[in-house]
This record gives sequence, structure tokens and C-alpha cells, in this order.
Amino acid sequence: MKRLFAGVALAATYAAAAFAQDTIRVGAPLPMTGPLSPEAVKQQRGYDLWAEAANAAGGVRVGARRMKVEIVYVDYQSNTPRAVQAAERLITQDKVQFLFSPFGSGAAKAASSVSEKYGVPTIAATASSAQVYDQGYKYLFGTFTPNDTLTEPLSDIVRRQSAGVQRVAILARNDLFPLAIAQEMEKSAKKRGMSVVYFEKYAIGTLDHASALTQIKAAAPHWIFATGYTNDLVLMRKQMADLRLEAPVVTMIAAPAYQEWIDSTGKLSENVSSAAWWHPAVRYSGKDIFGSSESFVKRWQAKYGGLPDYAEASAAAAGAILQMAIERAGTIDRAKVRDALAAFDETTFWGPVKFGSTGQIVSLEPPVFQIQGGKPTVVHPAAIRQGELRLGVK
Amino acid sequence: MLSLQILANGLILGGLYACIAAGFSLVWGVLNVINILHGSFIVLGGYLAFFAYSIAGIHPFLAILIAAPLFFALGYVLQAGLINRMIAAPVLLTLTLTFGLDLMLSNAMLVAFSADFRKLILEPPLGVLSLGALVLPVDRLSAMALALALTGLLYLVLARSRIGRAIVAVRMDREAAALMGVNVRRIYAVTFGLGALMAGASGALLAMIFPISPLVGPVYLGKAFVICVLGGLGSVPGAMIGGLTLGVVESFGALWFGPEHAVTLSFTLLIVVLVIRPSGLLGRKGYE
Amino acid sequence: MKRDALAAVALFALIAALPLSGDSYWMRLGTTMLMYGVLAISWNFIGGMAGYPSFASAAFFGLGAYTGAVAQKLGVPMALAWGLAGIFALAFAAALGLALLRLRGHYFAIASLVVAEVLRELVNAATDLTGGGMGLNLPIPRLASVQAQAVFFFYAMLALAALAFATTLVVVRSRLGFGLRCIQQNESAADMLGVNTTRYKVAAFMLSGVFVGVAGAIYASWLHYIEPPDVFDVLYSVKAIVMVLLGGAGSVFGPLVGAALFLSLEELVWRNYLQVHTGVLGLLIVLLVMFLPRGLMSLRFGVWGRA
Repeated sequence: MKRLFAGVALAATYAAAAFAQDTIRVGAPLPMTGPLSPEAVKQQRGYDLWAEAANAAGGVRVGARRMKVEIVYVDYQSNTPRAVQAAERLITQDKVQFLFSPFGSGAAKAASSVSEKYGVPTIAATASSAQVYDQGYKYLFGTFTPNDTLTEPLSDIVRRQSAGVQRVAILARNDLFPLAIAQEMEKSAKKRGMSVVYFEKYAIGTLDHASALTQIKAAAPHWIFATGYTNDLVLMRKQMADLRLEAPVVTMIAAPAYQEWIDSTGKLSENVSSAAWWHPAVRYSGKDIFGSSESFVKRWQAKYGGLPDYAEASAAAAGAILQMAIERAGTIDRAKVRDALAAFDETTFWGPVKFGSTGQIVSLEPPVFQIQGGKPTVVHPAAIRQGELRLGVK
Repeated sequence: MLSLQILANGLILGGLYACIAAGFSLVWGVLNVINILHGSFIVLGGYLAFFAYSIAGIHPFLAILIAAPLFFALGYVLQAGLINRMIAAPVLLTLTLTFGLDLMLSNAMLVAFSADFRKLILEPPLGVLSLGALVLPVDRLSAMALALALTGLLYLVLARSRIGRAIVAVRMDREAAALMGVNVRRIYAVTFGLGALMAGASGALLAMIFPISPLVGPVYLGKAFVICVLGGLGSVPGAMIGGLTLGVVESFGALWFGPEHAVTLSFTLLIVVLVIRPSGLLGRKGYE
Repeated sequence: MKRDALAAVALFALIAALPLSGDSYWMRLGTTMLMYGVLAISWNFIGGMAGYPSFASAAFFGLGAYTGAVAQKLGVPMALAWGLAGIFALAFAAALGLALLRLRGHYFAIASLVVAEVLRELVNAATDLTGGGMGLNLPIPRLASVQAQAVFFFYAMLALAALAFATTLVVVRSRLGFGLRCIQQNESAADMLGVNTTRYKVAAFMLSGVFVGVAGAIYASWLHYIEPPDVFDVLYSVKAIVMVLLGGAGSVFGPLVGAALFLSLEELVWRNYLQVHTGVLGLLIVLLVMFLPRGLMSLRFGVWGRA
């Protein structure tokens, strides 16, 4: 019975592969079902926009000819082992030439061993933890700089804006990225002589933060730093208002970057600060398929309406970077494309892109921003600053 | 003062929890069926309220009136048409059946509404009530009041109406009730319908307070489990006491042990109560 | 006994030949199938034979995975870590069984389900030891090639599955098996007849835990990275139950047949129904429960499949 399955599956795959000779197939395992599914939607939109842009221009230039791009999606159900399985299936059965990592640091790390085994250049669009890249692999590249590149500039700015900010309260979701960045925040705060008066984690699926927020209120902090996914932070911001919890500085990672969060919190979003790896306000121009940050944003708005957030842009960037690497290498030979990625040193709409020896990008300067008047306003870096950091969140 | 605020938080939350669990407890107590769909019904009720508000401007309090009959019908049909065929089957099979049905409903909602969290924002916002140092959000307070009223209404139906007495009779002793002329199959369907109604209605209420997504269903279900065990199966007052207890336990648990332990604490409480007193704080001995 | 044993040897020999195909994707599938087999066979002891609807498989799996992973992080050699995981799971099952097995029906089901949740949050909280919500990275054995590693884990899981299956054969013909069947039929009567119900039930529960614990440890080493929601996933418990129901609860070959069929269905659905595969799985479960509650073995083999 199993043999029959195998036979039919193999035949179908060969047939599909035969058709696909003239296209570049890039595998994209995504958590389309399960708790991470909202993230998958963002990633997919980014990848699709890139594919559309590349194909609209006639395809990717590979040496003398042009090849169209096709993205092959597989759902790994927000389940890390399935992500690894999906990566392997994409490579061995769906015969993709390149791979985008699954979502998040954990799954990206787990799946990277598969890409390394088969020598498939893989770009991780959403993996920020340095641990993802510490296995000495040669085929993994990432578009997010490590977490401390978010907390350090943020802490400097807050410090500069008000020397009176001394007491910091941190509330983190007990999940890979939210907890990791909260820990970086603790380090950044302590480094500047601030005292961390509260640091707690909340379980995934927490429906009510009233207790934690009541305790934070009792600790009277100057700076409240909260991490979690969009729904957590919507709820938290609302409950802060319910409990009349106010502070000079409130930072949330990463929800204020998303329009859904701003819409859901309404007036409560005012003066909440955040940091991310990219922002629609940045102004870079490069030789990638989008040409510049502005034209990328315009293209995004034309297709999807609304502004792209950093996760969506990162996915599109992964595609754009891959395309440039292929074009530089002049071939879709995996080893050569890999080398082109390792030697990559160009500016793109995403920012200056250069990968370090571990494969993680080292060249970005993540923007720090604050919601002012219902709009994200960039306060750092100075080159694209739109406003000053305002104090006081009610 | 901190403790008083924490207590207030817990009681408000607990009132909401009571509403979540009342219908679930009833179905479990009367039909001996654990309705895994309950969590998803709550979420579906939330979506109904959300879309009613964002498209037609209908206030969630009114959306309850729309949700109630719709969900009753849904529950009734589901039970009479499908679940009743398995009603005599072992616990494992009925549990697995509702689990499979829940997977289908959850997936359907995911496809229809996507997993993005929706938040119902009331314009204008209801604000906050200050009693001295105590701060009480009005929307939670009013939702809690309504939730308790709804639960109270259910209790009245069970205590006073004919069909309510019949339901209680079936819960106490199915064979005897049948012998007394009660149409047990119809009662099963009505009870399941009531359970679905409570779920949908509480979902509409909760939509004012919590973000809505198919992913939250299991969380509500987990709370319902704990409350049922605490309060006893099939007992509406039990669900109220259980709900309030759970709210307070979670609130103080987060204070004493840290917020990440609040949920663990409630589950540990469940296990401890199960081992020591399976019939719950208020219930009689349920089905084994 | 002889016929079952011979059939089993043939079956396992056939499976053992899979690595010869060289296709690592099929080997991954095969390893997963064997792992599912272990889950199903283990559940069969407590759920199929004793008739207690246990949802604790996920708890044992996660416990084994973290025990093995933490042990390896602390420098314990891999095989020893696996053994440690098994012992831990065994002890935990004994303690848990003594506490919970006096509950029946729904109450037992809920309690066993909730144990996994509690364990998950405890692991989540112990960040220093287990990495908490950030997951745990296992040291990667740099000795062998990646291909050889895949083969190694395949055979490790195969050996575990064979061991679990052999245990089933032994138990089914033993006094324990007989006692469990009595308990399933009518526990009070069995008790009155002198069957030590507590001892037998706890034994069955321990058996349902030990192999699953080792499977969890092997799984953690295989993947090199685990996090609490992955290994304490309630779906492991549900799948174990569905697989055994599919194959035929209480029978000897049922769990294996169920596991193989379930995995094939899962693969097929996963490949073809991108958006709705969870829903399709739900539909399959509903159809199974309504129309084939005694499993496939009851269809073809009638009494032969049953012990």
C-alpha cells in the first residue's frame, strides 16, 4: 500500500518538476494554521509581492536568459517538527532550488539543518536570535539583526530624552522572541544604571493581565516595557487604561508596528513607543527589484491597501535579496548563489544588506518609532527622523 | 489596597467565567457529553457580535438577543441530528466525536475569518469607575452583570419552567424521568441547544472585552473544565461559584506566584479537587 | 502467540528495509510512523485493554523529551539520557496513576489531559533549566554525517516500537492482560473476584508511559530543538487515541495498523488540502467514530485480531 502511494506520488512529482524547468522554485514553509497563522499571512503577502514584481519585469535575470519565479507554499501547522518536515519535503519532493525559512527563530533554526544537509541557500525573514545562526552553517542567511540592536538605541533615546527615567517594569510573553528581547531590554536598562523593578512572564494564551498590571502600578515605574503578539498587547494596553496605569514611557514590541494594533487600541496608542527592523518611513534606494523604499511602499499599497509592516517587508526583502544574489551569480547553481549571498554588500529598499560570518545580517540600523496622532513617527536614526520622542502615556 | 483591587479584578473576571461555564456544565451533567465545541461556539458568538457591531452598528448587548436563538437552533439541530446517534456510546467515543467536530468548526472559522485577532471597540468607550483607590472598568463590570443575569436566567428556567424541570429530572435519573413520561431525546436536544445558546451569548458579551480569534477557543474550554470540576456538573449555582472562585484564584495566583503561573495554578487546582472531591465543591455525584 | 509473533517479525523486518531506499524524506516519514506506532501501542495498554480514556500521552511524551534533552545538555551521553527519560516517565506514571486512576470516565480523561498542560507550564517557568518559552537546543552530534544520523534515528525508533510491540504480545497473554480485560468489562465485579484492580491499572498506566517517554527523548535528540508547546501538544494524545480506534482498540496489531493508516492519511491530506487539512482530519475522526468505532481490525479479522 505504501509502495503504491510512493509510486503515484513520485510520478506526480516528476511530472510537476518536468513542467517547472524554466521557473525558479522557492520553497516557503509557513504556519498557515495554528497559533502563528496571522504571521503566515504577512509572510505570504511579502513573498507574493516580490514574486509578482519579479515576474512582471520579465523574470529573474539568470545569465543570458530570464526565468520566472514560483513560490511553493507548505503549511506546517505552527508545529516546529512539521516545519522541518516541510522543509525537507519542499527540497526532496517539490524540488525547490531555494528556501525561505519557516517563521520565527525556533523553527528557522530547526529547519536550517535540513537546508545545510542539502546545500540549499535559505533566507530567514523573521529570525532575530543570534542562536539561530550559531551552528556554523554556510547556507543560512537572515534579514533581522540581533535583538539588542533594538533595545540599545531605544534605551539611549529614552535616557537622552529624560534622565529621570529610572525605574523599569518589564512584562514579557513566555515565548521565544518576546522573552528573548525582554531579556535584552533588562540588560540594556541595567547597563545604563536603571533599576528593573518588575520583570515577569505571562503564559501564552493569557486572557487577563489585570493582576500583573496592578502589581506594576504598585511598583510605580517610569518605563513600562511589554512584549507579546498583537492580541496580547491590544488587551494589555486596554487593561492598562482600565486600571489607570500611566507612565512617562511605554514601549511595546512588536505590535505598534502593525496597523491592526493601532486600529484596535484607537486613542490609547498615543505615545506608545516601539522599535523594529524596518519602517515604511525609511528612505533607502537600491538596485533591487523594488528600487527604493518609497516605491516598495507604493507597490504594496497598490496591491494590498495600507502600509506594509516590518514583517511583511522582511519577507519581500528576502525575495529581493535572493533575486539580486542570483543575478550577481548569473546562475541558479546553489553553491554559487550561496557565495553571492555571503559576499552580498548592497543597499536595498530594506536597508544596507551585508551578512556577517554567521549568516545573520549586520548592516541594519533598526528604526525606533512612536505612535503620534495615530501614526507611527520615526525618532531614530537621525537620517530619517520625523519627530522627537514624547513622554507621557495615559 | 492592592489586595482589594486584585480581588475586584478577580470577581469581575469570575462573573464572566461563570457564564462561559454554565452551559458547558449543563450539557455535561445532563447528557454526559463533554462538548469540546463549546469553546468554538463562544468564539463564533464573538464573531457574530463583532460583525454585527462593525457592519450594522448593533451594540453587543443587543447582539446577545440575536445570538441566543441562532445558537439554540444550531445546538438543537447538531445534537438531534448527529450527536444523539452516539449518545449511548462510551465516554471516549463521544469525546472524540465532539473533538473531531470542533476541529472542523475551528478550521471553518479560520478559513472564513482568518486567524487575525479582531477587537470590538465601543465608540464611545464606556470608561472607568473609580471607587476610592479601586478602579473598575465599566465595560467589564457591565458585561459581568449581564453574564450573571444570563446565568441567573438559566437557573430560573431550570427551576421554574416545565421544560427546565424536565431537564433537571433527566439529569438526576434518566430512566426514572423516562418512566415519568419525559421525552428524553427531546430533552437532550433542548439541553444541548441551551448549552450552545449560553456559549454564543457569552461569546457576544466577551467580544467587548477580549480579542476574538479561533485560537482562543481552547483557552475558554480549559476554563470551563476547571469551573465544572470546582462547581459540580450540571449545577448552575455551582458554575457561578466555580467561576468566581476561578477568577479570584487566577487573580491572586498571578500576584503571589507571577502571571505565568496563573493558568498552571488553576489546572493544578482542578487536579487536586478531582482527586480529593470529584463531585466538586457544590455538586452531587455526577456520572462516573 | 506464535502466529502473531511471526507476523510481527515479518512486519518489522519489512519496515527495517526502508533505509535501503536511501530517500531521506521517506525515512523521516518512516521514523514518524514508528513514533506514532509507539504512541498508539502504549495507549492501547491503558485505553484499549483497561478501558480508561487516558489523554496523558502528551504529558509522558513531553516529560521524556525534556528529561532527555536536559540530561544531554548537562553532558549525559545520548543513549543514557534516553534510558533516564524512560525511567522518569515510568516513575511519573506510577505516581500519577496512583493519584488519578480512582477516577472514572470523563473525570479521568480531563485530569489526564490537564496534566500535560500543567507540565508544560512548569517547564515553561523553569527557564534556567529548560530554556522556558525560548526552547532548548540540544548538542548536535558532529560525529556522523547527516544521512547516517537519519538512519540511526530510524533504527532507534524501530527498536523502541519493536520493544513496545513485544511487550504487548507478552501482556496480552499474561495475567495482567487478562486482569485488564476484566477491569474493562466490569471493574467492580473484577474487584470482587479478587483482581487487584489498582495494581493492574497502575501497571497498565506505567506501560502507557514508559515507551512514550523514551520516544519523546529520541524525538528531542532527532530534532535538536524542542519547545514546550511542541512536545506537550495535546494532539499527541488525541492522535494516539484516534490511531488505536482506527486499528481496533485492545487488539494486538490494531495500534500499528492504525498508526500506519493514520500517518498515510495525514500525509495525503497535508499534501492536498492546504487550507482545510485540520478540518478534513476532524471529518475523518467524526466518520471513524460514528461508523467504525471498533476499528479496522474488527472488520477483517473478526476475533483473530483480538487478544
